[in-house]
Amino acid sequence: MSFSERILHGITVSSGAAIGHAVRAFDPLFISLNLRISSDEVAGEVARFRASVEKSSGQLRRMQAQLKRRNAEESSFLIDAHLLILQDRLFVDRIIAKIESDRINAEWAIQQVTDDLCEAYDRLEDDYLRERRGDLDDIVRRLLHNLQSKHMPQIGKLPYDAIIVGRSIPASALFELRSRHIAGLVTETGSSLSHTAIMARSMEIPTVMGVADLPEISSGALLVVDAAEGIVIVSPSEETLARYGKIATQAKISRRLAAEAASRPCATEDGVKISLGANINFIEEVHAAVECHSEFVGLYRTEFDFFREGGRNDEKSLTTDYSNVLKAAKSMPVTFRTIDVGADRNAWDTVNPSLATRGLRFCLENQDLFKAQLGALFRASVKGNVRILLPFVSSIGDLDAALTIITNVKKDLLRRKEAYAPDVPIGVMIETPAAAQTCDLMASRVDFLCLGTNDLIQYYLVIDRSDQSSAHLYSPFHPAILRCLHQVHKLLEPAGKPITVCGEMAADPASAAMLLGMGFTSLSVSLGAYPRMRQILSTMNLGRLRELACEILKMQNPADIESMVRSSIGLQPIHHS
Amino acid sequence: MIERQIAIGHRMGLHARAAAKLVQLTRRYKSEIVLLRNDGGNSREADARSILAILLLAAGHGATVAVRANGSDEDEAVDCICEYLKG
Repeated sequence: MSFSERILHGITVSSGAAIGHAVRAFDPLFISLNLRISSDEVAGEVARFRASVEKSSGQLRRMQAQLKRRNAEESSFLIDAHLLILQDRLFVDRIIAKIESDRINAEWAIQQVTDDLCEAYDRLEDDYLRERRGDLDDIVRRLLHNLQSKHMPQIGKLPYDAIIVGRSIPASALFELRSRHIAGLVTETGSSLSHTAIMARSMEIPTVMGVADLPEISSGALLVVDAAEGIVIVSPSEETLARYGKIATQAKISRRLAAEAASRPCATEDGVKISLGANINFIEEVHAAVECHSEFVGLYRTEFDFFREGGRNDEKSLTTDYSNVLKAAKSMPVTFRTIDVGADRNAWDTVNPSLATRGLRFCLENQDLFKAQLGALFRASVKGNVRILLPFVSSIGDLDAALTIITNVKKDLLRRKEAYAPDVPIGVMIETPAAAQTCDLMASRVDFLCLGTNDLIQYYLVIDRSDQSSAHLYSPFHPAILRCLHQVHKLLEPAGKPITVCGEMAADPASAAMLLGMGFTSLSVSLGAYPRMRQILSTMNLGRLRELACEILKMQNPADIESMVRSSIGLQPIHHS
Repeated sequence: MIERQIAIGHRMGLHARAAAKLVQLTRRYKSEIVLLRNDGGNSREADARSILAILLLAAGHGATVAVRANGSDEDEAVDCICEYLKG
């Protein structure tokens, strides 16, 4: 083992820095954590592992019986191989021995034994046999799932300074960990616009993604995560630790200053009022939004509650959930975005999930779900200030279909004598090129609009936000985006319908300055960025930004545009790698 | 203890299907059974009850392995396993 400091490079997806101990998350689908256990927990851990082996074998035998009934002998034979692996001493006994000798949890022991075996497989010269490690992966996935589905007592034992390290951590898994304190997050895949990154930012977790050398980090290793620089420091020196300790203290002070600014009204330096809202993902965040004096919730992503494990999605349960959100929000308006089953969640099912059944398309295809959610939102509307936002709209036809459903849901509530507020505003998300081009037509049908810049930029510039090979091409300063924003503002002006920008652009000082210059005066940002943005907006001069907007609309090169915007608001130029 | 050499007759060698079948056969016997493979001066041994170990022998079609059994039913075991490995 080497104790000299090593720096692993990744990409910046959040701000902040953290010092903590690595906890490896082994499987991307069933997040499992590698932890040390005490000697009196060993027997229980072995029993937990054996139970998982038993459960897995039972599942495989049932599957095999079904296949045999269908005369699918060939596949049933593959299951034989899986069952034999579960009885294989080379596998099972070694895992148990590892748990006992190294005093680690079953997940970690499985990972170590599997890694050794996979290494042996990788050395084989026979292509066919080398592929057999796929069987092993499959079995391991099943074992981990069965270990976890019972209960996850080991998560309760996360160290207070845990830095979760894994190949890819789904947003939902990060969400499951939300009640624990997580100091940092390091992953191999993902980009700043993946849902996991959005979640990490809203939970204010310093995060570095795109780290290729994950095997360098083992559970328990001391790490420094410098999210702003996009680096992870393994085995940091005393000197490095002292430096980052100082940075952490500094961050605390600036957070306090920003919190003080939060009590003053949000306005630019030249006195123009800016509406600043918060984007949130789950009820726990509503309290935090109230604490930082957020004026409204510009975006409540309902899908995280909706797909919460063990959660119920009938109208009645959802009504209770949403009523609780509104109670916590006091009188603050809350914009509930109806379910957007996004690219992250579909990722394992479709070839190109970004273009698959998303947002409103999903709702129109799953109308029972959509109606239950709408019914719940209307019923909760008597408890507070509800606004309903329809995501990922790409045609007037879809919008009209959704509006008809909304009318019918209201009629149905009336028939059932359920009370609801009569004037719940309905809004539409402008986040596809089609919606941007027809935003005036959409505006005439709804009460408000929301500009989702993340998806808009992705679809305008033909970039997959989770794909490393194109992620760097993503730029809010591309002339196509500037023209689009300018055009949307012009198209909406006559209708006078309010529009809020709720994408990442609103939370970045330079692109937010550009939005203000183009005439957008309502922004909604993640909670992590809220205090900082409030403070930064108060230093901006709207008159100057308007002139700046005219200038940059004539420019051609994204990097030049970005430098010009940054220098005009007194920020250091950024170096593109 | 007895030991016998045999060439793998299965077209695909000791792949998943053949290996699984071999493990199932081995389990009928009480004797301890191992397969040995001498691969370019590199001698490797696999517990015949471990599918992972057998796969890692990477014994392709035509490869020679030694079947070694030690126990009360070693003769039947070696007969049966060699018969199977012949393909």
